[in-house]
Amino acid sequence: MDLTDTIELPTPADTVPVGAGLSIFDPVFLGIDEFGHPAYLPMIYRNILIGGEPGAGKSSLLNTIVGHAALCPDVRLCLLDGKQVELGLWKDAADVFVGPDIDHAIRTLRRVQTVMDNRYAFLLSHRRRKIGPNDLFGQILVACDEIAYFSATAGDKKDQDLFAALLRDIVARGRAVGIIVAAATQRPSSDIIPPSLRDLFAWRFAGRCTNDVSSDIVLGHGWYARGFSSNSIDPNNQGEGYLIAEGGIPNRVKAAYMTDADIIRVADYATWTRRRSGLVAPAESAVKVAA
Amino acid sequence: MSKSSQRSPFGWSNRGGQVTVIEAPVARSYRRRATIAFWVTLGVVGLLAATVASEYMHPILGGLLGVVLGAVLGAVLFALIVAWPVLRVFWHWLPEILLGLATVYGWTTLMQSTPLWGSLLIVALVVGVPAAIAPTRRRVMAWAWCLIVRHRLRLCFAAFIATNRHGSLPLILLAKPTPAGERVWVWLRPGLSLRDLEQDGQMQKLAVACWANEVRVMRAGRKYAAFIRLDITRREPLAHTVVSPLPDYVPTDIPANAPTSPGMPPVGLDLPDVPDVTVIASPDAPRQRKPRNPTTAASPNGFDPSDYA
Repeated sequence: MDLTDTIELPTPADTVPVGAGLSIFDPVFLGIDEFGHPAYLPMIYRNILIGGEPGAGKSSLLNTIVGHAALCPDVRLCLLDGKQVELGLWKDAADVFVGPDIDHAIRTLRRVQTVMDNRYAFLLSHRRRKIGPNDLFGQILVACDEIAYFSATAGDKKDQDLFAALLRDIVARGRAVGIIVAAATQRPSSDIIPPSLRDLFAWRFAGRCTNDVSSDIVLGHGWYARGFSSNSIDPNNQGEGYLIAEGGIPNRVKAAYMTDADIIRVADYATWTRRRSGLVAPAESAVKVAA
Repeated sequence: MSKSSQRSPFGWSNRGGQVTVIEAPVARSYRRRATIAFWVTLGVVGLLAATVASEYMHPILGGLLGVVLGAVLGAVLFALIVAWPVLRVFWHWLPEILLGLATVYGWTTLMQSTPLWGSLLIVALVVGVPAAIAPTRRRVMAWAWCLIVRHRLRLCFAAFIATNRHGSLPLILLAKPTPAGERVWVWLRPGLSLRDLEQDGQMQKLAVACWANEVRVMRAGRKYAAFIRLDITRREPLAHTVVSPLPDYVPTDIPANAPTSPGMPPVGLDLPDVPDVTVIASPDAPRQRKPRNPTTAASPNGFDPSDYA
């Protein structure tokens, strides 16, 4: 705590940070649709899988979702990023930030799983089925960039399977207790993540894919046959892609973009408000306590 | 409307001294409909009028009055139905007709009330100012496109979108400009469904006819299958960068207090800095169960983060 305070010394002492007043129950502003109208994405009680070739704008969309959550005063962030830099700018605003360390990733998912179990037990004891806005406890956003690193590259097969199984459990059961998963990977084929995990994601975003089959892997089987293939997207138009959300039919959208300076600004503000409100403790000690 | 447009630009042929305004089969079908309407009106109105009139006068006189009333109303309806193909054209072009009338009458009144230079000045202001201001100009052009698109769609529906046996076309409802083009709501008549419009090539034909890039069709709501929406795309709104509104939530006066972690020394950032060591077998090596290429497993891009731990 002392360390935090010394870092924030330059701030005027009598300033009280006021949160942005967003809520994860508000839909996230995603960008615009193909008719030029704003597109919103409700994230509460939902999970999203983001796919597309490198440079398709996956991380940009993930940053938008994490940014919205970071400005929500009651959402805890749990970020896993094998590439470190995509979500790393939110590191100080997050409760847990996992870099390329599969053991840490598994420990983190175990913690989330335990929290989930405890929350369900709590809800059951109060004869309730799901949480609502302004509940006793807030929501948790588990954002994972480059799933493939954890589920197919790092560690050994046992660890990778364990990671996939834990993530599947969180996606499958986390919904009603406000645990939201947003995951991005380039090509979520069965050798990267198990289809049983992939098919649990309700919302899908497919940035540009190199072929129609890859597009179908992200969006779900059969959409190419119905004329929706993200292979048709201009490779130079980063952030454009097909989104399956409300309505269930792919919509062409363009994801909003934040420059690095913008992300840093928002992340600093989120960190500041969160630390003052006690939402984020220094992450390392918390991990050690739990471990 | 006309069959022999090659003869005359106004759609009528002067063959035999007759003017064809409505095609013969269409005219026949409308005349048949009009005749039925005439007899039904005569019967219903005549009977009702005769019943009411009989309360006030002699039943025979009342009956006669009823017949006369029914005949008159039936004749009016007959005339309306027979002339409907022409009246419909007036209805379709009503905005243009009204605009034209307003222009002509406005100009005449202006000329009468002000001297010539005054009129010219006012016209130059009324036309020039919106044309010079880009947002107004775009707005006006967007509305003009809405008018054009409705005519083009009507043409397409009549030309190649299948209709029912009576030849009744889909009703074209409102058109609204969108950032990408126009959005038109359409009410389908019996005999046509969304599937007919979704058939291969139909939307491409519509796009060609509307001078657009793309036309998409979808249901306008979940309640009525007949209520559909056509989205005509002329511009590509997705080409520009969409700026996220999240930074707007951050107050402008927050201090720059980036709580950065201590800087990392720039060591090992290039290939010569990383020694070429053989991969040491991990503790669980005896199992040898990793046929997948081990270099990828250790470091996907030649970068092993554990070196910097």
